[in-house]
Amino acid sequence: MRPNILIIALAGLVVTVAILKQVVIIVDESEQVIITKFGEYIRTVKEPGVAWKMPFLNTATRFDRRILVSDAPEAEYLSQDKKRLVADPVTRWRIVDPLKFFKTVRDESGARARLDDLVFSELRGEVASHDFVTVIGSKREAIMDTVASNVRTKASDFGIEVVDVRIKRADLPKEVQQSVFARMQAEREREAKRYRSEGEEEANKLRSQTDKERTIVLAQAEQDAQKFRGEGDATATRIYAEAYGKDPEFYRFVRSLQSYELFLGKRSTIMLSADSPLLRYLAGPQAEGAKPPGLDKSLPKVTMAAPTE
Amino acid sequence: MSYRQNEPPPFDKELAEQFERASDRFSELLPKLLPIGVALLVILWLASGIYSVNPGHVGVVRTLGKETARTEPGLNYRVPWPIQQVDVVSVEQIRRIEVGFREGKRVHEEALMLTGDENIVEAQIVVQYRVADPSKYLFRLRDPEAALRTATEVALRSTVGSMKIDQVMIEERAKVQDDARVFIQRLMDTYESGMIITEVKLQAADPPDAVRDAFHDVVRAREDKEKLINQAMGYQADILPKARGEAQKVLRESEGYKEKRVLLAQGEASRFLSVLAEYEKSREVTRDRLHLETMEKILPETDKVILDGDLGQRLLPLMQMGTPPVLPATLRTAIEPLKAN
Repeated sequence: MRPNILIIALAGLVVTVAILKQVVIIVDESEQVIITKFGEYIRTVKEPGVAWKMPFLNTATRFDRRILVSDAPEAEYLSQDKKRLVADPVTRWRIVDPLKFFKTVRDESGARARLDDLVFSELRGEVASHDFVTVIGSKREAIMDTVASNVRTKASDFGIEVVDVRIKRADLPKEVQQSVFARMQAEREREAKRYRSEGEEEANKLRSQTDKERTIVLAQAEQDAQKFRGEGDATATRIYAEAYGKDPEFYRFVRSLQSYELFLGKRSTIMLSADSPLLRYLAGPQAEGAKPPGLDKSLPKVTMAAPTE
Repeated sequence: MSYRQNEPPPFDKELAEQFERASDRFSELLPKLLPIGVALLVILWLASGIYSVNPGHVGVVRTLGKETARTEPGLNYRVPWPIQQVDVVSVEQIRRIEVGFREGKRVHEEALMLTGDENIVEAQIVVQYRVADPSKYLFRLRDPEAALRTATEVALRSTVGSMKIDQVMIEERAKVQDDARVFIQRLMDTYESGMIITEVKLQAADPPDAVRDAFHDVVRAREDKEKLINQAMGYQADILPKARGEAQKVLRESEGYKEKRVLLAQGEASRFLSVLAEYEKSREVTRDRLHLETMEKILPETDKVILDGDLGQRLLPLMQMGTPPVLPATLRTAIEPLKAN
């Protein structure tokens, strides 16, 4: 008899589980559920936890409650200044009205298709009213905010709340890239040339400045040197004048004798008159004390006979 | 095959009997064993609710789908599936994603991006993050890592797109990182990711391969410029001190000349004055003496011609000396460099 009881107990458990499965819905944190009765809407369960439904009569359809993504394929857009732009918009959204969502787009892939269409047309409009550079740079966020708010309004019909729309990539079409590279190359070559010329410019400035300074330093030194030499010459002249001025005639005499010593050498011939005072005693001795003629008259004069030209 | 097929071998009979007996005994035991088996299964099921949470992690417990508790590191218990579920999430571990490259290899379509001045730059970025709010991380955003990757691309391209290429590559790298970090965080907050971006590192911001050489040449050109300037400075450092030295030399020489001139003059003057003082005492004798001494010095060296009387006056014109020099009456001496004629 005991096995029978057990079998009944087991059967009871299975039946209970089956009924529970029909009656109890476990709604996860990341889910929301709509309950329908043969296609007719009954209610929405947005809170996680346990919900109840009529067994067999009601159907529960689950939807994600989290923020979802739709990554539209790359497409070409034309900016106001007629430049082509390849952009790749990404939309973040969540299902806020599961019933509307279920009625209009059915499921996530349906929603993504609709959203991508909406984003594409909104973005095309926005890009077309801005210049390329502003789409890339300064206005990118503003443009995307506008696109997002427009898409948000339209997508609310699908029970969707659009969190934001962003451009993941915004690039030039492949064939335009090459011309950009060429331009970049030219710009850099120009810059390199500029640096090298600037270097030469600076270097030449420095060198010429250096040469100039050297010339000035040397000239100033020469100036002072000439001044010193002049001072030396002047002082010497004064000293000579003072000394020789005491007896100019004697100076001339002594100085002349010095000159003779200097310039009369082996290659000179001197003609002496026999009656010159020097040779006076050559002819014969005369009375002592006799004055050589003329000596008393004037001081000896030496005149150099310069050769005529 | 030594036995016939329709006659089972004798030991089979024994085996069958043994099996029969065992099965009888099992049938008797089954009512006793079944509850034990069930109890074991229940115990196993209950025991499967034991789980451990590692340090730095948090267990998030859902009871019938709804988040009901957080558990601390250590051994913990939950009622097993389908009643309770637990997700263990690290809230301290810093994780990272790479954009523009994967494990050291460049991913071109991710890395190439437009700058604000319509140049193209190749950027690689590493984003580090950790989970700050496990509930949001688990239940508010589908696939948070993918969302972060996308947000990083969005933020980086937006930031780079608002700058010039030189700013991105050189001058403003830190700003690129900061701006990108703030932007990524803002996006991830909007997406209720529960993530905190701890660091954004711009691994590389380089010119694309096609123009890399030209960019490197600019760097070289800048170095060339420095080199040229340094060489000129070297020239300056070499030339100017030399010039100053030379100037000093010229000055010292002239000063020396000045001193020399003065001293020489003083010397000669004092010599003259000394001689003069003696000369004053006996003029004629000194005069004659000086004259004769000089003649003594000169005449041994020179050729001498001694002319008697007026002969000299007559001879001189013949010697093609031009007009005869006016000879001093006292010292009739004609001096002429003989070789000149």
